[in-house]
Amino acid sequence: MSTTSEPHLRDPATPLWLGTVVLRWITLAFALGAIIVHLGEYRNIQLTWAGFAAMVVWTVVTTLTFSRERYRWTVLVVADVVITCGIMMLSPLALSEEQFAATAPLVTTVWASVAPLTAGARFGAVGGGLAGLIVGVATGTARGEFDLDVARDGVLLFASGLVIGIAAMTARKSQAALARAMRTEAATAERERLARSIHDSVLQVLARVRRRGGELGGEAAELAQLAGEQEIALRALVTSEPTGPSGSDADLRAALGVLATSRVQVSGPACEVRLPSNTVTELVAAVKEALSNVDKHAGEGAKAWVLLEELTNEIVLTVRDDGPGIPEGRLEAAAAEGHIGVAQSIRGRLAQLGGTAKLDTAPGAGTEWEMHIPRPANRRRTAR
Amino acid sequence: MTVSVMIVDDHPMWRDGVARDLSEHGFDVRATAADVDSAVRIAGTVTPDVVLMDLNLGEQSGVEAIRAITGDLADTRVLVLSASGEHTDVLEAVKAGASGYLVKSASVAELVDAVRRTADGDPVFTAGLAGMVLGEYRRMAETPGSGEPPPQLTEREQDVLRFVAKGLTARQIADRLVISHRTVENHVQSTLRKLQLHNRVELTRYAIEHGLDRERE
Repeated sequence: MSTTSEPHLRDPATPLWLGTVVLRWITLAFALGAIIVHLGEYRNIQLTWAGFAAMVVWTVVTTLTFSRERYRWTVLVVADVVITCGIMMLSPLALSEEQFAATAPLVTTVWASVAPLTAGARFGAVGGGLAGLIVGVATGTARGEFDLDVARDGVLLFASGLVIGIAAMTARKSQAALARAMRTEAATAERERLARSIHDSVLQVLARVRRRGGELGGEAAELAQLAGEQEIALRALVTSEPTGPSGSDADLRAALGVLATSRVQVSGPACEVRLPSNTVTELVAAVKEALSNVDKHAGEGAKAWVLLEELTNEIVLTVRDDGPGIPEGRLEAAAAEGHIGVAQSIRGRLAQLGGTAKLDTAPGAGTEWEMHIPRPANRRRTAR
Repeated sequence: MTVSVMIVDDHPMWRDGVARDLSEHGFDVRATAADVDSAVRIAGTVTPDVVLMDLNLGEQSGVEAIRAITGDLADTRVLVLSASGEHTDVLEAVKAGASGYLVKSASVAELVDAVRRTADGDPVFTAGLAGMVLGEYRRMAETPGSGEPPPQLTEREQDVLRFVAKGLTARQIADRLVISHRTVENHVQSTLRKLQLHNRVELTRYAIEHGLDRERE
C-alpha cells in the first residue's frame, strides 16, 4: 500500500500545536510583566531587554511556522529548545545577586515551559519528556544551584512535555485507526458493488448454462458441470469476507462456504460463527480431508453435505456423504498396515483443538463424520 | 387444476427462461415483474397460486414484497428462487412468509417439483435453509429480546431439521425416525410457521411501540 495514494489527513495533533502558539504569547506577556515588576533590580537591564526581544522574535517565528502543518520541521523544534535554553542562560549575567537570593524569575520566566510542550507535540512522550528535562537542567544551571525549587520546576517541565507527548501520540494512533477503518469500509463497499454486479450478470448466465446444459446432456452436460463449478467458486469468492491476519478472529461459516461445489452442499447458521483463525484453519482442513475421502471412496455420483452448528457450549461440524460407506474393519486394517489414514489425521486435528471426531459408517449407509469442539466462552455469537 | 404462477426477477433472460420451462410443464404463467412495487401490485390483481421470487432485485430486496404478498393474499404462496449464498436474505424471506427456497442452479425437474409442492402447501426445504433455520432458533434462544419469548423447537423438530440439513430426503428421515413421510413434512412445516408467527408478532409489537400503527390511520 503506497502512502501517496492515501487521502491527505490533517495532523491530528494540530490543536496541541495551536495551543502551544497561544500559550507562548500568554507567557510572553507574563515575562514582560515580570521584567516591569522587577525593573529596578536587574544587574544588566539592557541584556534583559535584549533577551526579551529575542523571545518576541522567536515567538513570532514559531507562531508563523508551527501554525501551519508543513512548517513543523524537526530542526525548528530542536532550535526551539536550544534557543529557549540560550536565552535562559543570559540570566546569570542579567539578574542581580539579590534577585537570585529571592528566587526572582529568570529572563525567560514561564515562557521556557512552552518548548517542551512543542517537543511533545512533535516527537511524542519521549521527546517531550526529554526536552522538559533539558530545560529543567538549564534552569538549574542558570540559577547556579539545584535546590528544591529547581527540582520542582524540572519535574513539572518533564511531566508537561510527557503528557502533551502522550496526547499527540494517542491522537495520531486514533487517526491511523480511523484511516484503516475508512479504508476497510471503502474496500467492503467496493466488494459489495462487485458482488452485486457479478450476481446480476456473470452468475445468472453461469446458472443458466449449468441448468440448460445439464438437461441437454452429453458434451453440453460436461460444459454445464464446469460452468456450475465456476459459478459456485465465484459466488463463494464474492460472498466470503476477506481473511484477517493470523491471530485474529475468522468466520468459520464463510470459510466453509468456499468448499461448496456442485456435489458438496454447505449449511450453517445465517449469521457469522467467529472463532480464532487458527481454529478455523484447522477445522476447514479437517472438513477438506473428510471431503477428499468422499471423492476417493464414495464414487463419482456421491454427494456430500457439510453442516455447521453453533450450540451453547460447542461447535458441531457434520460431514455426510451418500456413498457406499466403509466396510467394517477397513479402517482398522489400514491402521494395522501402518498407513496413517485420513481418519487419524482428522482425529488428530480435532484432539489438538480440544475436541473429538467420530466416524459413523456402515456398508450402504454412507459415511458421517461428526466433529465437536468446545465453543470459546468469550466468543458469543455476534447479533446480525 | 392448473397451477398459476407469477415470476419476479429483475433479470429478463432468467425470467423468460423460467417462464418457458414452467409453461412447457403445464403451469399457467400469469405474470412477471421486475421490482418490488409492481410485484406487489400485479400479485394483488392476478392472485397467482405461487409467486417465484428472486431476492436480489437490483437495489431492492424481495423480502418486503414477500411480506406484503403473503400478508395480503391468504391463498398465494411464495417460493424463493435465489442465488445460493445469500444467507441472511434467505432467512429473512422465510421469516417474512416465504414457504420455500430453491437455488437458481436447481434443475428444471427440481423446479417443477418445488413449484408443485409449494402450490400443495408443502414447504420446500433445502439442506442450506434447514441449517439456517436451526441456527436462527439457537440464536433467538441465546439472545432473548425484551418482548415475546422466542419460539422453541421440539426435540423431534430439531432432529428432523438436522437430518434435512445433512441432506437426507423426507423419505430417508421417515425411515430413520420410524414415522410417516407426512409427519416429517408436518414437522418441517411447523418449524417455519412458528418462525413466521414470531416474526409477525415482533413486527406488530415494534409497530405499536413506535406508534407506526396510528400513523397509517
